[in-house]
Amino acid sequence: MTSEILLDVLDALARRHLDEVEVFHKKGRSRTLRLEGNMPITSLRQEEGWAVRAGDGRGSFFYTASGPPRPDSPWPEPTGKPLRLPSARPVPSWTAPLDLDAPLLGENEAMHLLQGIARALAEEMPGARLVRGYLEDGASDQELASSREIAARSRQRAASLFLEARGPAQDTPSVSVLLAEREARRFLPTTVARRLADRLLLADRGEPLSRDRGDLLLSHGVVAPLLHALSPLWVGPDAPALARALGDQGRIAARGFTLVDDGRFAHGILQAPVDGEGVPTKRVVLVEEGMYRRPLVSWRQATGRLTPSGCSRRFGWRDLPTPGPTHLYLETDSTTGVGELLGSLSRGYYLLATHGSVKLEPGFKRFAVPVSGFAIEGGRPTGSISGTWLVGTVSAFLKGLVTAARDLTFSPLGGGMIGAPTLLVKGLELRHRP
Amino acid sequence: MPFSDIDAPAVNRALCQIADRPDDTADAYFERLEEIELPPQGSEPGLRTRRESGLAVRLLRDGRSWLAGRDGIDSERFGDALRRVARALPSAPYPKPDLGRNHWLDTPSAPELLDLPERFLRALQSHGPKDKLPDIGLTVRRHRRWVRVIGSHLSSSTEHEQFYSVAVQMAGGRFGNLYETLDDPAVEQMAASTARIAAARGTESPSEGRRTCVLGPAATAVLLHEGVAHALEADILARGGHPEAAIGIQMGSPELSVFDDPAGGPESVRRKADDEGYPTSRRCLLRAGVVEQPICDATWARRSDLLLPGGGRRGDRHDAPGPRSTHLDLVPGEVGTKELLADADGGLYLPEADRGRLDPMTGQLTLHFAYGRLIQDGVPGAPVGPCALHGHVADLLSRVVAVGREHRTAGAGWCAKSGILMPVWASACEIRLDDVEVFP
Repeated sequence: MTSEILLDVLDALARRHLDEVEVFHKKGRSRTLRLEGNMPITSLRQEEGWAVRAGDGRGSFFYTASGPPRPDSPWPEPTGKPLRLPSARPVPSWTAPLDLDAPLLGENEAMHLLQGIARALAEEMPGARLVRGYLEDGASDQELASSREIAARSRQRAASLFLEARGPAQDTPSVSVLLAEREARRFLPTTVARRLADRLLLADRGEPLSRDRGDLLLSHGVVAPLLHALSPLWVGPDAPALARALGDQGRIAARGFTLVDDGRFAHGILQAPVDGEGVPTKRVVLVEEGMYRRPLVSWRQATGRLTPSGCSRRFGWRDLPTPGPTHLYLETDSTTGVGELLGSLSRGYYLLATHGSVKLEPGFKRFAVPVSGFAIEGGRPTGSISGTWLVGTVSAFLKGLVTAARDLTFSPLGGGMIGAPTLLVKGLELRHRP
Repeated sequence: MPFSDIDAPAVNRALCQIADRPDDTADAYFERLEEIELPPQGSEPGLRTRRESGLAVRLLRDGRSWLAGRDGIDSERFGDALRRVARALPSAPYPKPDLGRNHWLDTPSAPELLDLPERFLRALQSHGPKDKLPDIGLTVRRHRRWVRVIGSHLSSSTEHEQFYSVAVQMAGGRFGNLYETLDDPAVEQMAASTARIAAARGTESPSEGRRTCVLGPAATAVLLHEGVAHALEADILARGGHPEAAIGIQMGSPELSVFDDPAGGPESVRRKADDEGYPTSRRCLLRAGVVEQPICDATWARRSDLLLPGGGRRGDRHDAPGPRSTHLDLVPGEVGTKELLADADGGLYLPEADRGRLDPMTGQLTLHFAYGRLIQDGVPGAPVGPCALHGHVADLLSRVVAVGREHRTAGAGWCAKSGILMPVWASACEIRLDDVEVFP
């Protein structure tokens, strides 16, 4: 049932002879804690705003404002191109996750969490300290209605944690992590601290590698940024043409490579019944056992045999919907643990993290990304590397997959969640320079 | 003027109820924002309007801050925000001050945006043959903002800012800048810069090595923003120790004297008070290369007798204030362009920087340039493609050997520290740096 106030806005604009109208309303609240220089800043935000897209055959406008929707707003005149909006489609049944109702983190809980991470970090690596911590735990409700009979409501819950830490040595760079969960209570201080300590250790002791090849074990911290950098292969109507250049007959990756985007991914932070334009979300297989199947497209981009993926993301009430992945992940049914893969490595490298953005050559031929990790011999670490670039062709990365572990992990990247397990890959190279 | 009808004494009384210890400070921040955007031609929807109003209440006590932000302005929201930051239940109900009318009543309109694409294209055509012009997407926005801060100790009147931002997207490059007005010189400047970036596509980058570089005023502004302003923000300094320890350190060449002067910027963005209600001042960051007064907000100033507030800025009502520069001003030198370029053959003339970044933990600073020109026979000669200038901030600043005499508003742009976008302005000159590391 659409709220009265949204119906009133639709009516007000219909009276102005605007036949394409969409109203979006979002309310949210969040607790944030910022810790920097031993000066904690606690804040409680209550946000509310709304947006209208409206147009007729001559032009269109986008109007957003804070507060509750107001049918008596001073509407601008339509300009530019006429507007097209999606029509209502049947929405498959949907049960909202139960933990959406969990209360936000309290002020003291938030402080204890960051202090707990700082303590655990100091225990993992004496002398290490948190330089900055930023924790946010929030919940939101949103509603969408349009003149094309779209009427949708959804709720979301998300928490993010950004941490920057520094090791005992003064001259080594700091390291940072950005994590996301559905609620902040799922951040475990010891796990987060270990992750920071591993990265600090590599930054402190890692040595640049002049050049080497070999079997590479890529953790999700390396695979996820690569999958994200390759987004033009997965999103938009131009993606199939790019993919065609990577392989004959649609084979762009190894048989073990199945890439999926799922707006309804169970336990996913962004799971919702419809996307930001009211189009039903669904599971879309983009690459199936190495064969390119289709890209993600919004309803506007869907032509011919391409059906809409329900992938228009709307980050907030100020933003227009834009197509992109929601939960994009490498699917794995592996039962192999990372430890087993590591143990099977006679000589190679276990790469844990990236330290900058992925550089891609035009045309998606080659990539390079700065990484750090461990040299492995006989299944055991024999040294640390950092200041080193992982380089290769995009095709070699996609086709070089030997096997995947079972540790599917998601990272927040580019507004979506990108998931990957640890992968054993051949055919890539480590170099001192890109 | 928005917020002129707020019952400030009543707001002050309410804040005094929560700031009930001698060293407490509480403030209420009222904000109104409007952004009207004309998207690139052919985009839907057409004109895009964003209008926001909201408030935040903050309490500072013993080095801690509590903040409650609300979208919308009325006495109910104010009272709720007050309760959220109060550290104890009040003995009497908080007063509900009259906050005046805060709805947007006027129709969004920015006629000056509508003919800009045509004016820009005309100007661009004057910079090269029509068939060689790049395909461009021009986005132009008008930004307006009204801010008023009422505190338990002091109160400011409403501050107003208005400016325009322009972003040009083209194959292989982008150009962005901020303008006080969209007059003909501004349109000519955006067209000239766009044409130069487009012309540099496919041009070979300079080889890696150490060279003399002469930066134009716009590039100097980015260097000063990253290398002086960010490096001297109290919160950044605190990552390495006490911010006040920086005072008196020789951080750059004796040629460099740099101020942050929010009241001296372009007229439409001048500020008498910062986003915490403190009066702004012409703050001397570097005098002859020596650090004099870091950029500081109220929170950091409370911890030191040497640091002065007045440099606090907020992204919006939901963000806590932090120390940031507003309008950097480089004191001009005495030499002209000819002298700056003399004996610099093989060096680079770099008119404007694409972007810059300072790593606050290591002090490494990198400036990226979309194009430049090789200095030949004492003048800017053959064009070169994209390149970057890199080094430790103190080392780079110490390599400034001369500052030009021509002083102008240049290099305005968006600062994105901690993911919060803020407009920054500068008045700068050409400078010459000797023996700096350049890479393609």
